[in-house]
Amino acid sequence: MTVPIVELRKATKKYAGVPAIEEVNFALLPGEIHTLVGENGAGKSTLTKAMAGVVTLTSGQMFIEGQEVRPETPVQALHLGIAMVFQETSLVPTMTVAQNLFLGQERFFNRLRGIYIAAQQFLQTLQFDVDPTATVGLLGAAKKQMVEIARAVLHRAKVIIFDEPTATLTPEEKKYFFDLVFNLKARGVSVIFISHALEEALLVSDRITVMRDGKVVVTDRKENFDRARIVQAMVGRDLSQTLYGQRKTTMRRPGKRVLSVENLRMAAMVKNNSLSVFAGQITGVFGLVGSGRTETFKVVAGVIKRDIMYGGEVLLNNKPVRYLVPAPAVRDGIVYVTEDRKLEGFFETKSIADNIYLGFLAKMRGKRKLISKREASEVGERLIKRLNIRAISKDVKAIELSGGNQQRLVIAKSLVQEPEVIIFDEPTRGVDVNAITEIHQLINRLADEGKAVVVISSYLPEVMALSDRILVCRMGKVVEEFSALEATEEKIMYAAIH
Amino acid sequence: MIAALRRWTDQFLGRGAAAITVPIFDGALKPNQILEQAETFAELEAPEDLATDGNSLFVADGASVLRYEDDTATEVAQFDRRITGLAILPHGGLAVALDGTEVRVIGGPNDGRSWSNVAGKPLNAVNAICTAVDGRLLVTDGSQAQPYDRWCHDLMSLGRSGRLLELDLAEGGAREIANGLAYAFGTMSVGKDVWVCESWEHRVLAYGEGKSGLPVVSRLPCYPSRLSPAQDGGYWLTAFTCRTQLVEFVLRQKAYRTRMMKEIDPRYWIAPALTSGNTFLEPLQGAHLKMRGIHKPWAPPRSYGLVMRLAPNGSIRYSLHSRVDGKNHGVVSAVECRGTLFALAKGRRRIVSVPVADIERRLMS
Repeated sequence: MTVPIVELRKATKKYAGVPAIEEVNFALLPGEIHTLVGENGAGKSTLTKAMAGVVTLTSGQMFIEGQEVRPETPVQALHLGIAMVFQETSLVPTMTVAQNLFLGQERFFNRLRGIYIAAQQFLQTLQFDVDPTATVGLLGAAKKQMVEIARAVLHRAKVIIFDEPTATLTPEEKKYFFDLVFNLKARGVSVIFISHALEEALLVSDRITVMRDGKVVVTDRKENFDRARIVQAMVGRDLSQTLYGQRKTTMRRPGKRVLSVENLRMAAMVKNNSLSVFAGQITGVFGLVGSGRTETFKVVAGVIKRDIMYGGEVLLNNKPVRYLVPAPAVRDGIVYVTEDRKLEGFFETKSIADNIYLGFLAKMRGKRKLISKREASEVGERLIKRLNIRAISKDVKAIELSGGNQQRLVIAKSLVQEPEVIIFDEPTRGVDVNAITEIHQLINRLADEGKAVVVISSYLPEVMALSDRILVCRMGKVVEEFSALEATEEKIMYAAIH
Repeated sequence: MIAALRRWTDQFLGRGAAAITVPIFDGALKPNQILEQAETFAELEAPEDLATDGNSLFVADGASVLRYEDDTATEVAQFDRRITGLAILPHGGLAVALDGTEVRVIGGPNDGRSWSNVAGKPLNAVNAICTAVDGRLLVTDGSQAQPYDRWCHDLMSLGRSGRLLELDLAEGGAREIANGLAYAFGTMSVGKDVWVCESWEHRVLAYGEGKSGLPVVSRLPCYPSRLSPAQDGGYWLTAFTCRTQLVEFVLRQKAYRTRMMKEIDPRYWIAPALTSGNTFLEPLQGAHLKMRGIHKPWAPPRSYGLVMRLAPNGSIRYSLHSRVDGKNHGVVSAVECRGTLFALAKGRRRIVSVPVADIERRLMS
């Protein structure tokens, strides 16, 4: 019998007495790709963090190649051959890509040029198009992810744990990533892969473990799984038909043209981009990373500024608008629900109610001189109920919520502003399947209410399941428009790439 | 002072009125090839306008008016000058604009009535006539500065001398409803209001009780032309060409325009046209238009074919296109007759036809 490279027996981790994982038995075989799936809060991250030495187990045992170990720091785990690529990147943003790659491996005297050359060669072997001299803070999410992956590979780990690695990657980059994973497997490296994208799990895994409520529900070979079985195991009921399962057969007719973007320019990211958004419709926006889709809508919402000279026009209800900050856009009825909820979406140390109330105050243009706790509580409770945010109370801090509930909070914070145009950027990234269904229902409801809804997503089934019309961006501009009925994955992808 | 400062900063920064932006063809204006693929109904010498009495199609072709019953044409009137506008009168007879300088009624109870001056100014570029429900005639006089043929000169001179006129068929009186329009081209009686296309401002305006130039459709990505009623409510609006950023840029460069108009043959101006691709001397050649020998349908259009279907409130329901790689360009008139839409592609001197049910099935299902 093959000895597992990593094995956990009756592993339990408790936070303040509450178990995040409980009596979990898990085994990773040499050279296998093992996917962990489960809803947010199912315990996947805690389980892998225990293996990577980020957290220590409250009880239970861990073995590496049959030897009992107890890594207490990531460095110890790395010495044992376990590296983890985190969901939130752990790179130093002010350092270059090369410096990040070799962080912790520096010699007493370092030649920067030598590091750059080595990094360049190494990145090329992985087919990662990343400039080793680029400052990490200036890179997009996908490229940061690549650097993280490259760093793990560089450390010659025997086990690499990827926590949601593909969430920020484009389909092309995903393909590279999967090639890399298969390459690692061929070298004998074992891979643990956490993902919400079930198709990916079914595509790359040798075995799949489904977790729910801190416990392992089932572990089996991928051949014995299909999408419905995984989803059922994850949530305890069959959601497969409601989640991207069905293509749209009808589409909403457009209302009035609420938002027009004409020849918008923003540095090298948005190049002469033009588009319209109509009331009572969901406009899906698809594009690869770097296609300028997020930046376009960030300019619309005043999050970033367009070019000072000849930057183009943004028209809200046929009136030109130019927002330098988001507050006036919010007052005019445009809200942007960010793709990076942890950084831009909420104040993590504030309560749910406070976060929602801050969204409410943003609409007030500083007219509200005194803050009413009662009003904050009422507003918070109303939105918590409307969006079904699941928490012990409205006073729970945002950081303590699961990913799905955090996303609901960000949406609640925006909806309290009674917007006319709502821009959702990756609304279900890193969110469990149950929350995805609810968020999709909410988005549909908003369009039915007559709001102009924009959904930016890298996930094609999501774009196709939600949108009444689909705009495809490439190289900083919209290059193609499809109605929901004529769109196919092939057509959209072709427009996004060619 | 503040307005002048703002104007100056707008010009410097390319914002506001100086922003060289063009609305996109999307939503209801999403390009298709329906107009390009439409059946050719007739090819004529010099077609200028279409009209219908509900049963037959009337075409102003040069100095004649032709009547089409099915596919057979008969000449119903002949004039000594070219016809630039045509309307069928509800009580019989025709109203025609002759060379843009005279409106004349032929046949019917008001036979022989004519107008060549309105509000003390001579008619100069009459390009559209329509009848109102109360028997009035509504007429657009495109420009006071340039004759009918020289519409492009008017655009390049940023002309604002178009007029919307009302002619009284019974009494012979006339009055000006609006003046100072940036090329008036096409009008329509809509209930108690009158709609008029202001081509160089890319919009349709409404005049009537409490409305003095209220935009009904605005910020069009094209230069609108004539309007006509659709049989199940709403209207057909044609556009004779599209806007491009290059032309918008040229329109903001006074010195360049002046010199171009002075020194270059108008056929080769950087300006919209009713047809293109006829000579290599035209602007917008090479990679702008062709890639590996294929004419790009999405290239910057010098000429274009477009018919829009408007809902009764003026919102655009759908549109028919002949794209840059097509031929049916310079659409100046469209009428619906017995369930078929006829569109006049002046650039190709051809009338094309498409069954309306076919259009609706393709675009609205």
